[in-house]
Amino acid sequence: MRHRTILEYKHYRYLKLAALVVIASIIGFAVHASPVGRYGGTPMGYALGTVGALLILWLMWFGIRKRRYRASSGNIQGWLSGHVYLGAALIVIATLHTGFQVGWNVHTLAYVLMLLVIFSGFYGLYAYLRVPHLMTENLGEDTLDGIILKIADIDREARRLAVGMPDNINLAIQDSLQRTRIGGGVFAQLSGPPRKCPTDRAASLIQASVREFKGEEARANKDLYGLMLRKQKLLERARIDVRYKAILDFWLYLHVPLSLALLAALTAHIIAVFFYW
Amino acid sequence: MKILLITQTRNKKGQAARTEQPLVVDVLRIGRGTDCKLYLPDPRVALHHAQIRHGADGSNYIEAEAGSFSVDGSLNRPGKLLPDQRILLGPYELVILPLQQDYDLVLSVELLDPLREGVEEVRSNVQAGLQTTWLSKRLFSWTAAMLILAAFLVWPVMHATTDENRGAALKADVAPDASWDVGPLASAHASFGRDCHKCHQLPFIQVKNQACEDCHKTIGWHFPLKTAEARAIHAAVFPETRCASCHRDHKGQNGLVRTDATLCTDCHRDLKTRHAKTGIPDIGEFTRDHPPFMLSMLQPGRSGDAAIVRVPQDTKVRENSGLKFPHETHLSKKGVRSPAGTVTLECANCHVRDEAGIRFKPVTMKDHCQQCHSLEFEPKVTTRQVPHGNVADVQTTLNEFYAQAALADTPIDVVVEAGIRRPGERLAETKRQAALTWAADKADRIAHDLFEVRVCFLCHQITAVPAVDNRPATWQVAPVAITRHWLPKSRFPHSQHDTFECAKCHQVSASKSSADVAIPDLKKCRECHGGNQPTRDKARGTCETCHGFHTGSHKAGVPAIVPGSTRPRPQTSQGNAANPATQVSADAPSGGAAK
Repeated sequence: MRHRTILEYKHYRYLKLAALVVIASIIGFAVHASPVGRYGGTPMGYALGTVGALLILWLMWFGIRKRRYRASSGNIQGWLSGHVYLGAALIVIATLHTGFQVGWNVHTLAYVLMLLVIFSGFYGLYAYLRVPHLMTENLGEDTLDGIILKIADIDREARRLAVGMPDNINLAIQDSLQRTRIGGGVFAQLSGPPRKCPTDRAASLIQASVREFKGEEARANKDLYGLMLRKQKLLERARIDVRYKAILDFWLYLHVPLSLALLAALTAHIIAVFFYW
Repeated sequence: MKILLITQTRNKKGQAARTEQPLVVDVLRIGRGTDCKLYLPDPRVALHHAQIRHGADGSNYIEAEAGSFSVDGSLNRPGKLLPDQRILLGPYELVILPLQQDYDLVLSVELLDPLREGVEEVRSNVQAGLQTTWLSKRLFSWTAAMLILAAFLVWPVMHATTDENRGAALKADVAPDASWDVGPLASAHASFGRDCHKCHQLPFIQVKNQACEDCHKTIGWHFPLKTAEARAIHAAVFPETRCASCHRDHKGQNGLVRTDATLCTDCHRDLKTRHAKTGIPDIGEFTRDHPPFMLSMLQPGRSGDAAIVRVPQDTKVRENSGLKFPHETHLSKKGVRSPAGTVTLECANCHVRDEAGIRFKPVTMKDHCQQCHSLEFEPKVTTRQVPHGNVADVQTTLNEFYAQAALADTPIDVVVEAGIRRPGERLAETKRQAALTWAADKADRIAHDLFEVRVCFLCHQITAVPAVDNRPATWQVAPVAITRHWLPKSRFPHSQHDTFECAKCHQVSASKSSADVAIPDLKKCRECHGGNQPTRDKARGTCETCHGFHTGSHKAGVPAIVPGSTRPRPQTSQGNAANPATQVSADAPSGGAAK
């Protein structure tokens, strides 16, 4: 059976629900002609605003619900599918609620934060649909831990071989063993393989000095070169894996704080509107 | 192929143990995959690392799959396996043992290098996962939410609660509640600036009408609520009477006033369903079903509300102003005689736009008529005229003038008829009486001449009242009532129609009588004005173009007579000396039209 994404959950149940909500909102907006124009302060505006605010609370509840493993209200795929589609529907509902009026105020701040949350969510959805495939392509049946163990083996072998080699090569190998980093800070994790890697340097040094050796040394040199090449390939896969994981995670560092910022701005918006009713 | 697999293990004391396991397979797959017959459960081994195949020549051959190996120290060198060869495969050592019994391959397997510290060195250089960095969802979330709540909720609320705080907020460089402002105020309210409290007086309570009425004191409802019945109708027709139901501010300079046709037509399309006894005809659209204009005509000789008669406009309507005024004569192309010679008059010579540019200043005797229609009475004295507007004043003026002339020491030549005197001559009583008799007689004759022959009768309807008993003869001037505002329930800014000649709407050049009504009718307006929907080559003609909603608003039109102001009054048969209203009624009967 083909793998079904959360978008197709239960034959697009939530797409249909979201479409229904959007169409109802558009019809309501179009039909309800208020004498004072179309904006958030008319009965239809209040209705759209209430639906939008409740939807925001429900969407945010997903962040709590997904961690309640014993919760019985639907499964997590269903919740996520609804989260995506109804979140997208919110763009239309909230835009109609604004009546296409924007300004430099807390009301538009809430609207813009909401858009940022939704679009960061779209990016997360894209990442979730695409990156896992890429991760599998990259690692295959390996795991990051497995790669680390393999690198450790290579390191051990390299260390053994390097002992009998000239100082410069031995030093380069030691450098590779001690200073080769996988991942690192935010930028390093997101950007993948770095430009300067001690293992690359060791490999090119060994390659450059291939003509300097004879006999046993030449063979050791050749083996070392092979080891470094294998290590390079393993490193690349490990770093790409770290990068993919970072990509999968990073959007949430926007999505979640922006959601909480939105909740605050929404609260301020609602109180402000009724404070100066 | 038949294989004997000997697995070597060592216990903690280093003592060796071995287990033997016979296998029959086509190919011996080696790896950490569970489907591998030679199962090597170590992360450094690939799922399908390598395989050993029994060749047709009876030898065994090793070949790589996903992993690498070395045979006697040679890396990844596939080939024939010979007894005693050692294969290093990840952390495992495989040794080919001599054949025994009928096995095709005897293989010993030993884990030489269990996982150990070398891995820690590699791990120390690995930092994977954003949770290991300075990024923190919790910190970011709390920071953003708290900042937003502080700046956009707590700060504004704190400054919007007490008078003291509000005062401080007004003086602050940045208004704490500026972030709450949903849009620019209407131009008339822009001066409120950031004083939100001016309208938003109580938190969480909708803006009250009182806040509007604090300034808009004169604005009225849709119709006057003078009677209980009117109030009952109003309550029924307008159940919600919040100003803000219609007037929402913060919608830009002109956003405060409704201009949509539905404001009117929602009710006026079928008004009888709202108020069965209404006398107001239904109207839904200017181009289609606007009823004929109702002309509000001032009636001479009446006062109060009775001074105005409202009649539907048609060709039979005649004005009764009490004046004689043929436009035809005055607008003659040949011109009219004047003290300055013959002049050709234009409309603007008499009809002068008011300051608002909406209608016209009253035409007055003094400013517009008297230049030609002089009230001189004595041909030999061109500097004196009788006052206009009051019969008694005219008679008094004449009496005084001629008495003075007759009695003065230096008689002027008008009194030649009364007898010549020497300068400084004192008049004897008999002569003085004769002079006064002459003067009274002269004044009477001149008055008769003015009223009935030469001057007044030209414009006014004059009735002579003969002398009775000891009261002298006098004249009665018919009351004058010039309608200044024919359509007081509408608003017609003449200045906005300057592109047209007056005659386009007011055809008076052939009018021989002041009874002709020159107010353009509905048809004339429709030549240029369309209805509620935009029409090609036509100006919009929504209800709001001409009418206003509220009584007392500048758009509701101007009442023909403002209650309490001076109104036209009938003149008494005595010419009612000293009645100021007479002047008003003659010159500016609609003085009440002033706003």
